[in-house]
Amino acid sequence: MPAVPIAAPTIEPGLQPGPDSGLRSAEPSYGGPVRVAFVGKGGAGKSSIAGVFARLLARDGAQVLALDSDPMPGLAYSLGVPNRETGIPAEAVEEYEDDSGRRRHRLRAGLDAGAAIELYSTVSPDGVRLLQLGKTRGVKGENSLSHQGYQAILDALQKQRSAEPDSTGSLADWAVVGDLPGGTRQPFFGWGRFARTILVVVEPTPASLLSGRRLARLAEKASAPHVVAIANKTREEADADLVQARTGLQVIGEVPFDPAQREADRRGVALLDLDSDSPMVAAVTRLVSTLSAKEPVR
Amino acid sequence: MLGQLDSADGAVVADFEAGLGTVIRMGDRPVDVVVLVTEPTVKSLEVASRAADLVRDHKLGRLVVTANRVRDDADVTRVQAAFPDVDVVMVPDEPAIVAAERRGEAPLDAAPDSPGVRALVGLADRLLPN
Repeated sequence: MPAVPIAAPTIEPGLQPGPDSGLRSAEPSYGGPVRVAFVGKGGAGKSSIAGVFARLLARDGAQVLALDSDPMPGLAYSLGVPNRETGIPAEAVEEYEDDSGRRRHRLRAGLDAGAAIELYSTVSPDGVRLLQLGKTRGVKGENSLSHQGYQAILDALQKQRSAEPDSTGSLADWAVVGDLPGGTRQPFFGWGRFARTILVVVEPTPASLLSGRRLARLAEKASAPHVVAIANKTREEADADLVQARTGLQVIGEVPFDPAQREADRRGVALLDLDSDSPMVAAVTRLVSTLSAKEPVR
Repeated sequence: MLGQLDSADGAVVADFEAGLGTVIRMGDRPVDVVVLVTEPTVKSLEVASRAADLVRDHKLGRLVVTANRVRDDADVTRVQAAFPDVDVVMVPDEPAIVAAERRGEAPLDAAPDSPGVRALVGLADRLLPN
């Protein structure tokens, strides 16, 4: 389609990125497997990029765990996984009382997070392991035990997140690629706590730019680790610069609008299986290289 | 606040966040109409089917399904297969709407006569009480 000029989006008062926001200078100071969480406005392309990213990372030799924190199916499609009904079963979780007498949940005795990943994840193409939060079943949240089990695994990954590169344990070798639900509520308040790098996926549209800026501000308040942006569905040379200027985040990757991705969505197949030479795959390949250099794959 | 918006005189149009979270939390406070917006992709249609089940099971309101970015007959067939018992409002894939979005303009202002906007006007008519 013909190029369309982009109007300067309206930014809320107080949301203008400042040159000393510190967001652009945040860099990870540790090695270890890549651990990233994709966040952004609904429809920005998180799942599409995350699926390609996870499989390309696996092709590079990493042991990859893909986490889908959205009760709606998303990452499974972009990974090319036929089974989209998996989750952690209720029997994997037990209730207990903590020291203050509060009822809490944890993985059942004898089941650690590494074993739970092996048991309850789905093996995807290229060997990526997909762990899903699980389907939302109804108003009363009948699947809450499954969600507690998922949270227990996030807890374990969080504890291991800041470990030194020579740390040992069943989770130390996993590269983790997380796909978080759209919007601003979840990314920095628990669901992305396993990540060393938060990747904010932003389209060059006013609404998406504003969401990106809000996420950047939340990241700042939450003292989140390395937070950067990916400019997605770009159509013009200036789009990535626009994303950087409007969000205040360093843009570490630019993914062009790709008709092949749209066709993959229509068919419900993974882009890598439909057209592995597409512009989007090439862009995500560069993204994997960029992040692997910052967070070396062992 | 949403619970206090019951008004006989005015209309309230709420744009919920993606996914089913808000729909699930509506609980026993139903609305007049739930407009379910989907796209003719396998993933979107699966999500919409699950959402439709929730809306029906919990009697949250009259269900209206809208398929956005419909390009061709194959898309129409795909959507109708997912919702065989529903008269779906088809909104064509519309470059004018994409362009308006990039400029931060309302489609109704930017391209009021485009097929996509005309389809949305038809949707609005359908939401009004008979």
